[in-house]
Amino acid sequence: MKQTYIIVLLFSFIIGGCSNFDDDINTNPNLPSQASGTQLIANASLYLPGLASSPKGEFMAQYLAETQYVGASLYPEESTSFYGLYQGPLANLQAVIDSDGLSASQGPVPNQIAVAKILRAYFYWNITDRWGDVPYSEALKGAENFTPAYDTQEFIYNDLFQELKDANAMMVAGSISDDIIYGGDMSKWKKLGNTIRLLMALRLSEVDSSVAMQEFNDALAAGVFTSNSDNLVFRHLADANSQNYWYGQVVDQNREWWAITETLVEEMKPVNDPRLPVYADPARANGEYVGLKFGEEENIGTEEFSLLGSDIIAQDAPVYLITYAQVLFAMAEAAERNWISEDVEPLYNMAIEQSIVQWTGSSDGVQEFLNNPEIAFDENRAMEQIGNQRWVHLYMFGYEAWSEWRRTGYPNDLVSPNGADVPNRLSYPDNEAFNNQVNYEAAVQRQFNGQESIYGKVWWDL
Amino acid sequence: MKNKITLLAFMVIFQFTNLFAQEKTVTGKVTEINDGMTLPGVNVIVKGTNQGTVTDMDGFYSINVDENQILVFSSLGFETKEMKVGSQTTINIGMVANLEGLDEVVITALGISRDKKSLGYATQEVAGEDLNLTNEQNVIGSLSGRVAGVQVTGASGASMGGTQKIKIRGVNSIGGGDQPLIVVDGTPISNANFAGSDESDYGNLGQDINPTDIESVNVLKGPAASALYGIRGQYGVIMITTKKGSKGVKDVQVQVNSSFTVERAGNFMPVQNMYGGGSSQQFRTLANGDPYVDLSVDESWGPKMDGTPVRQVFSFYPQDDEYQQLTPFVAHPDNIKDYYETGYNFNKGITVSGGNENTTYRLSFNDTRIEGVEPNTYLDRNNLGLNASLDLSKKLTVSTNINYARNDAQRPKQGSEYGTGYFTQWFQRNIDMNRLKDYEYEDGTYLHWNLRRPDSNTGEIDNLSPLYWDNPYFDAYENTNKDSRDRFFGNVGLSYKVLPELELSAAVRGDIYTQNIETRTAFGGKRTPDFTIGKYENKEMNYEFLALYNKKWDDLSINGTLGGNIFNRRYSSLYQGTVGGLSSPGFYNIDASIDRPNVSNYLLRKQIRSMFGMLSLGYKDTYFVDASIRNDVSSALPEDNNSYWYPSISGSMVFSELVDWDTLSFGKLRASYAQAGSDLDAYQTSLPFGVGTVYNGTNTLFVPDNLNNPNIKPSFAHSYEAGIDLRFFKSRLGIDFTYYVQKNKNQIISLDVSGASGYSSSTINAGLIQNKGYEIAVTAKPIVMDNFKWDVNFNINRNKSEVVELAPGIDVYTYGSTTYSSVNSYLNSYVGEAFGSLVGQAYQRDEATGKILLGSDNMPLYTDATHNFGSVLPDFNGGLQNTFSIGNFNIAAMIDFQGGGQFFSRSKMLAVRTGQDPLTVATNDNGMNVRDPLEDGGGVKVTGVSAETGEDVTAYVDARSYYRNVLGRRIYEEWLYDASYIKLSEVRLGYTFGEKIMQKLPFKSVAVALIARNPAMIWQEAPEGIDPSAISTGSQSISWYESGQLVSVRSYGLNLNITF
Repeated sequence: MKQTYIIVLLFSFIIGGCSNFDDDINTNPNLPSQASGTQLIANASLYLPGLASSPKGEFMAQYLAETQYVGASLYPEESTSFYGLYQGPLANLQAVIDSDGLSASQGPVPNQIAVAKILRAYFYWNITDRWGDVPYSEALKGAENFTPAYDTQEFIYNDLFQELKDANAMMVAGSISDDIIYGGDMSKWKKLGNTIRLLMALRLSEVDSSVAMQEFNDALAAGVFTSNSDNLVFRHLADANSQNYWYGQVVDQNREWWAITETLVEEMKPVNDPRLPVYADPARANGEYVGLKFGEEENIGTEEFSLLGSDIIAQDAPVYLITYAQVLFAMAEAAERNWISEDVEPLYNMAIEQSIVQWTGSSDGVQEFLNNPEIAFDENRAMEQIGNQRWVHLYMFGYEAWSEWRRTGYPNDLVSPNGADVPNRLSYPDNEAFNNQVNYEAAVQRQFNGQESIYGKVWWDL
Repeated sequence: MKNKITLLAFMVIFQFTNLFAQEKTVTGKVTEINDGMTLPGVNVIVKGTNQGTVTDMDGFYSINVDENQILVFSSLGFETKEMKVGSQTTINIGMVANLEGLDEVVITALGISRDKKSLGYATQEVAGEDLNLTNEQNVIGSLSGRVAGVQVTGASGASMGGTQKIKIRGVNSIGGGDQPLIVVDGTPISNANFAGSDESDYGNLGQDINPTDIESVNVLKGPAASALYGIRGQYGVIMITTKKGSKGVKDVQVQVNSSFTVERAGNFMPVQNMYGGGSSQQFRTLANGDPYVDLSVDESWGPKMDGTPVRQVFSFYPQDDEYQQLTPFVAHPDNIKDYYETGYNFNKGITVSGGNENTTYRLSFNDTRIEGVEPNTYLDRNNLGLNASLDLSKKLTVSTNINYARNDAQRPKQGSEYGTGYFTQWFQRNIDMNRLKDYEYEDGTYLHWNLRRPDSNTGEIDNLSPLYWDNPYFDAYENTNKDSRDRFFGNVGLSYKVLPELELSAAVRGDIYTQNIETRTAFGGKRTPDFTIGKYENKEMNYEFLALYNKKWDDLSINGTLGGNIFNRRYSSLYQGTVGGLSSPGFYNIDASIDRPNVSNYLLRKQIRSMFGMLSLGYKDTYFVDASIRNDVSSALPEDNNSYWYPSISGSMVFSELVDWDTLSFGKLRASYAQAGSDLDAYQTSLPFGVGTVYNGTNTLFVPDNLNNPNIKPSFAHSYEAGIDLRFFKSRLGIDFTYYVQKNKNQIISLDVSGASGYSSSTINAGLIQNKGYEIAVTAKPIVMDNFKWDVNFNINRNKSEVVELAPGIDVYTYGSTTYSSVNSYLNSYVGEAFGSLVGQAYQRDEATGKILLGSDNMPLYTDATHNFGSVLPDFNGGLQNTFSIGNFNIAAMIDFQGGGQFFSRSKMLAVRTGQDPLTVATNDNGMNVRDPLEDGGGVKVTGVSAETGEDVTAYVDARSYYRNVLGRRIYEEWLYDASYIKLSEVRLGYTFGEKIMQKLPFKSVAVALIARNPAMIWQEAPEGIDPSAISTGSQSISWYESGQLVSVRSYGLNLNITF
């Protein structure tokens, strides 16, 4: 009988008890445990077109008017989340920069880090321009800090200048792999970093012109874009896995929700702008380019207005993010501001030419266009002409055009639909009030006197 | 291996045909010992043989036996008696009734039978016949309202076997994943779910149990009851005991059970029938002047449906008989109802059961075919079950329970973007549904209702692709989702009685299924043609060893258990989906993918090793103490911290043994404390990368949004419970009261964090969530007469939850969120408040008066999406079942109720937004329709306070702007509804044929019944057309918003039960 009890006890302990399992039972076979720096950079790059391809951005710059759910374009006071940008590209880029295991088999490690820094700076620049003060120095630290404080935009700008300089300085000879933007060409990355710095510097023209001028010239000296082949472009593929956002909306989902605005057509049609046939299709009803008044709510018939051009909604349409023409417009403006010694007019003409080449693929009609009295450079209207033409050029990157509108006030004929003015920023994600309450409230207090609003102004916007 | 054992069991069972010598005939009469009433149907068996008989109508029996043999008399509800034959030829027996409730035996954890009176914690048992009142197919669904402290929420019957969810004692997990463990005859089975919150609801897998096989269901509510299941039993256990054959006289019982019910869609949301499709009250016109219906607008803000001849959608199809014709623009008030068909549910079952002295067996087969109320939907299910046991010797018994279930279904889609949910959300009131039925013209062109506008010059529509919505018949017949599942579960066990007081047993338990899901999107609809196929395989094995020790001395009884268990799970899946479209119509295959298809394979392995012991002491049948301890080692926890102990202790005192008060037949006080733990899913302690899109041959990888935690610890639930169990008047009135406090600590949750940290969420040990509540269960037999009996079962429970803490620095946890038209809403939990607050945009109100603030355009102003509307959880719920037996008739009715709780209805919001709700055609106090122009006295009257001036304002505003752009889009406060309801969920009217008729028929018994499932909502606080008892869809574990809910289904039918 005793034996029986002993057997029972032994059996129980054999069956349960020991705490060692097969080594690999809790090793996840479904996901990789290692990622190369360049694979992470490539994934971050996939987020680039998302910076531009957004109806909200196009509404901000009044490129497109909503035909169906007009309410969305009437500048509702609703939050816009920046979480996706931190969790997506920035988390990847931070992982590359923080990694101590980068392998030179994907190219020189300093180059991998430099590229990650340039892209990180670019994403942060976009974020701060849209929202104002945002988490930066305490951000992307994972479990170390789930409630990062918001840094001032001024601090972020200054730090990004430094980051871009560091990136420029650390590059060495040798290309990197998995580069879906520049095919590993470090000279292009170098120019990109400096170009971002140049454009960021210009953004400070009103708030701190001395820093702006200094950084602008430094960046210029370090080497910026010199042709359209340097452009930061995301090239979509004729493949549903990597397709253009607008193709998904307009073609896949059959959504004729966006017409070109009256404002844009009025800017382009009277001067026979050669870019208009690319930007838009003629209205089906009459074969003419007809813009829709931004914010128009009454009985819109999509056949009566110009909708997005077939090149714009192509499945493999490129998304232009930073372009040579933009650099030329910036230099023209800098020349006008006497930051640089060059003449304004040739830069202005060159900017327009490069824009037309970029959008239409040829320089046909450039001269005729430049000869148009409205377009031809007029030194008394230099800032306005540069501003308006830059707006035309930045088509389909509404957020960037909106930033330039906020800084310069051009174009000066944007409308206020239903009495709602064009906003000055995006409202913070409303779940920051749950997830990061103290810091969120401090940032709103510091910038907007406690009142979160799309009409609060960011630091550089005076 | 298992198959071999089963085969062996069969062979042995059928070889038991021993014959015994027959020495003499003994006769006698069996009566009830107190009142001398004769007892028919008592088993009289010769002990140790399979020989026996049954007493006749007058209690007489006659049997041939040997002098040395012993007769065993047994009957349900009486204590079994044995009598040595000796020289007697007449043996009259007086049987002693088992006083109901006093010696109830319940099946507790690990399948151990215990005297209910000895338990120090609450359990509540539901008999299989109650669950089967109206042949509900999902056992979880049929528990609704039947057990105190158990809340069942689930899908409408239209979902065809959709998910039924169960919560025991409130929400105990911050993450909402607190589903109890389902155990069938000791075998834990998976109750997994393959549904999302929209599209098809494939249902909870627990419904693979054949309801007619269920003898009883015992719900172990707290950790005390489930401590012996360790990690997997933290949220309670649903113990299902299946019917078995009975030992005794060799006998074969064949039972046929069949039911047929008709299913009707019901409870439609009211809609207006004055204005038709469009966005303006004026018709648009073609070049020739013909007015036409604006097909591009899926809303009903259009012209009045006054019979004006117009070009309707059919007139733009050259293939249509009405091509280019004008037809009257009129309302089709029943266009939504017209879509639904009459479904049916045909259920046939047969069971064969029996046994002899050494064996028992029961074999069952069930076939269910359901055709849904939505066109082209069905669910077929087959269940095959075998229960058998065989005493190999006096000490050694082998037993098995094997179940096979097969499901084959084509289910409707739900949610705001799929299926028929859109009818009340986005539709034109002028659409003639019957006209859409033939959705394909002879030349293969599909007929849709939502198209681009015609070219204003030609009057033709060149692009006939639907804009936002497909013809619902096209969806139903072309875009089909199919799923099927094959499943085996059961066990084979051996038990060996080493000593009279010591039994050793071992069992192998398994649950194996393969789930297949296939979805199709056809050419010709609004979506890109698509095909997906998924195969999901799960194997859960439990290897169990148990030693049971039972000994009783004079006053002292001991009950001990020692055991060990190894749980092994292996789950794998292979999913493939086409990308970018299909290469040719009708070819649904991954090969047809235009672009690189989505492919993923997944493997999960997990093991838990456990050992446990329990000791129970009883003194004088009055005082009882139980203690248990369990150790679990989980492979999913960090290797150096993966072993945990869970203790429990409980005690009870049967004080009725101590007091001498006749009215009180039974009284017990009980109290318990227990801990139970839970671990996490496999692979959550490592930090992997995600696999991103492949761009032009470059594979990309990314940092996942959820941050895993290598230092995670198991969570612990601490539960304290006390109760009293009282029976009065010879147990005709029973009251069971329980008070409990349950604290769930260190919950493993995926906590939403600021995205600026680089992660959207992090797996952490967080928080303390506390539930307090009480449960009252009342059973009464107000009338007990020979041919009139009335039974009442009532229960109610009240639960209050509080989130006591989350994580350092975090005082909000977001359980879920939705975004519609850029407007967010959340289900949040705040520290110091009840679990699960609805959060969204509310009216801005004047602080002093509470009046609504109005903007300069007199439209209401709204807050941002951070307004807390309070908890969604109900205050109380319960059920009431009344059963009457009058002669051969029996009537039963089940009522479910819930008080409090709330939800947000997107269906209602959108019905208003799109001008379908009757509210949008109301008459204002000027006597004008709200849609009439403001200058004519139309418009919606708005009162409030001007935000600018602070003055009171009463004004009329344009109905479309008000409902479409403000109320119906931005002010969630308007669309919150109280979830209280009282529902008549089941009714049965049965008739059992009497003995006299039976004698002429070749059957032992025949019973017929009229049955009704979900016949009526008696009362609800929420508006008509939204069923608050079925608002959660698919795998959504907490009901907080409703969107595109399927219609309610009411079933009426007939049930026939024949025993041979």
